[in-house]
Amino acid sequence: MFLSKIWFILIAVGCAVAVTFAMVAPRPAVQKLSGLEGQRLDRAQYAAEQMFKVDAHKWIDRVGKLGRDAILSESLDAASKGSGEYNVIHRTIQERFRSLIPDLATGGIDEIVALDTKGRVIARVGNNEKEYGDYIGGIEVVADALRGYLSDDVWGIGGRLQRVAGAPVLSKGKDRIVGAIYVAAETGSGLVERLKKNLDVDVALLLRGKVIASSRPEGELDALPELVAQHSGDIAELKRTPAIELTVGKQSLLAVAAPFPGQAGEQQAYYALIGVKPAKLDLPALIANVSSNDLKWGNFPWIPLAVGTFALIGIGLALQRIEVEAPLGKLRRELQKLAAGDIQKIDDHKYGGKYGGLARDVNAAVERFTHAPGARSEMAGKDLNAILGPSGGSTFDLPAAGSAFSGSTPAPAFAPPAAPAFAPPAAPAFPPPPPPGGFAPPPLPSFNPPPAPSFSAPPLPQPFSAGAATAGASLPPSIKPAPWAQPQQLPADAIDEGGATADRQMPDGEATRVVPYDQQEEEDAHFRHVFDDFVDTKRQCGEPTAGLTQAKFLQKLRDNKAALMSKHGCKTVRFSVYVKDGKAALRATPIRE
Amino acid sequence: MTQRTPPRVSLPAVSAALAASLALALGTPALAGTVKGSVKLPETARSTRLYQGYWRLENGNVPVSNTGGAKAETVVVLDKVNGAHPPPARTVTVEMGGLDAHPRMVISGPGSVLEIKNTGKVRLDLSTPDTASVMPLEQLPPGATRRVKFDAVGGYAVHDAEYPHILISVIIVDSPFFATVDEKGGFSIPGLPDGKARLRVWARGKWAAEEEVDTGSKEDLVIKVAAPGSKDEKEKEAAE
Repeated sequence: MFLSKIWFILIAVGCAVAVTFAMVAPRPAVQKLSGLEGQRLDRAQYAAEQMFKVDAHKWIDRVGKLGRDAILSESLDAASKGSGEYNVIHRTIQERFRSLIPDLATGGIDEIVALDTKGRVIARVGNNEKEYGDYIGGIEVVADALRGYLSDDVWGIGGRLQRVAGAPVLSKGKDRIVGAIYVAAETGSGLVERLKKNLDVDVALLLRGKVIASSRPEGELDALPELVAQHSGDIAELKRTPAIELTVGKQSLLAVAAPFPGQAGEQQAYYALIGVKPAKLDLPALIANVSSNDLKWGNFPWIPLAVGTFALIGIGLALQRIEVEAPLGKLRRELQKLAAGDIQKIDDHKYGGKYGGLARDVNAAVERFTHAPGARSEMAGKDLNAILGPSGGSTFDLPAAGSAFSGSTPAPAFAPPAAPAFAPPAAPAFPPPPPPGGFAPPPLPSFNPPPAPSFSAPPLPQPFSAGAATAGASLPPSIKPAPWAQPQQLPADAIDEGGATADRQMPDGEATRVVPYDQQEEEDAHFRHVFDDFVDTKRQCGEPTAGLTQAKFLQKLRDNKAALMSKHGCKTVRFSVYVKDGKAALRATPIRE
Repeated sequence: MTQRTPPRVSLPAVSAALAASLALALGTPALAGTVKGSVKLPETARSTRLYQGYWRLENGNVPVSNTGGAKAETVVVLDKVNGAHPPPARTVTVEMGGLDAHPRMVISGPGSVLEIKNTGKVRLDLSTPDTASVMPLEQLPPGATRRVKFDAVGGYAVHDAEYPHILISVIIVDSPFFATVDEKGGFSIPGLPDGKARLRVWARGKWAAEEEVDTGSKEDLVIKVAAPGSKDEKEKEAAE
């Protein structure tokens, strides 16, 4: 049973570990997926930043190329000098712009502006192209261009974002600055769509706490500007936010926002890249997401799983077989042999654990039924003091030295109380009536063939008492002493048929042998058995056995028996050997019926 | 040749001169110290621009000009000067035209009034975002004028919401000891009384550096301004 228990414990622990793993494993997986999505957004943000940077350079190159146009140069030179007709110069520059860039929208251009050296607008195309003459030299891109720099900026004006690139316009001789040009590029839904296409993530543009363009449905990202604003520290230090969680309906999103450069950065202008956070993955969600493809032979280890499962079952069954079924079957077979009389007792050494205990219990029961004169409850482990009262107890101890009985001591007087329960029956009728209670009947005749006089037999094949039957009732059916416990049910002719042993077939097929009974022979056998036990016990106790002869011993037993019978009026006396104070001693037990 | 007799000085005149000298000596601190040195701005703060884009390239033909701009609005102010009195309050007019402010920096005493005239064609939305109670956001249409009084000593940055590059630095000081830095970052503040004072550097719309100085020291000061976003800058902001 030990290995079976260990196996069940291991299986239970394994199941607990498996369940724990199944419950816990999705969480790090979700965290990992979220982390990967965040990393994907980080990479997308880096890519977007590079795109903006490259884009800015392209715009600077384009506007620088425009600034090298001879007509524009001459026109702005004249405007800066104040020579020439101002309106003519205005129209000339406008027409030149239109001829160089016929379709502004296709090129993603909002407006192109030409300025003189004072920062005065000479001409515009695109937005507000009819307005000119205003001074905008304070704008940093324009001021930079008039200082000789080609640069870019991002503006947040009128609720819109504009990427701007400016360049100086040099004189024909390339020796002085005669004006400046800047180009404002569209930065709205067109840019969002282009970013989404290139980066494969959703994109939103934020300006002053509002979403001004987004690839996601309108209104979904209204909470994003506030979330981004909460990460102003990260933005100042890292130039971007960490992945921000955003719940939209039942969907969780992750967003990474980064500020636009230039003065738009001062106006809370951000571009946000948005990914979908992996759905919650607990065990039911995992199972619900399993597809038939996942369970195909190539994708699922069916064979190892089946082999493992059957191996586990096989090991468990084998251990059950080894530790439970095999010893149980063996014990049952031995009990059947015991019941059949083929063996005298079960070899309990062959059994371990509880089966060994069971075998020993069965042996003890058999021993009691075969050797004891009465019920276990009245003889086993008790002396007569316990049975008959303080004055009636009788133990018959023989000292180790001094006589053949090792210093025999006069048997203590029996003083049995006149309890009616111990009144012997008037006649040993067969079958006798069941005892009124208390004492068990004398031992039954042995079922062993002679000459095995190691146990006593009652004078008559009386049935077991109710107490004995009750004791036997606690045993399993296969080891109940029923066949020999109820001889009163046997017909008289089955007891002695010419002195031969009569076998009686019992209803379940078990056979019980009944041997003829001789009181004197049984007593002699009992005395010899006691003598043998006594000598063995003395030897075991290290006492000398010299001078101890069987004849003297038996004679002494007979004398003591007679003395006890006459003194206590009992029917017979049974002796047993025990160890007292490290020495062999005899105990006498009066038998009243 | 006649020998001229030196004029005789009368006793009452001498006494009066001594008394006046004593009174001057006891009544006013010694005006002898000069604090001078240079302000070392970080590379990113040396630009004439307040806000940078991705690129800023030279044209390759004509030398670029690096004068003026945001870096010219750097001023060194000494306050808590022993015995110093604040400059008188006055009204300073700043014209807003061409999407720029003229002048970009105003230094005056407590109680001064800043008068902003919008001479351009664009509506302005001016405020002091860091101290909104002093100058809340308010629209200034073309041709309109707005007046704001600055009572407390300190530095104020007036920004336009639509055009953040528009910056008016208003420094209200409690002493007449201040100086703007030159193109190389040098400055000199003469006529200081001996003692301790606090030196502060205003650059690019905020206080950029601060340290205690001994106005009697003859050594040149070198004040290093931390780069925006640097560790020193963050520590300073955290302390404020």
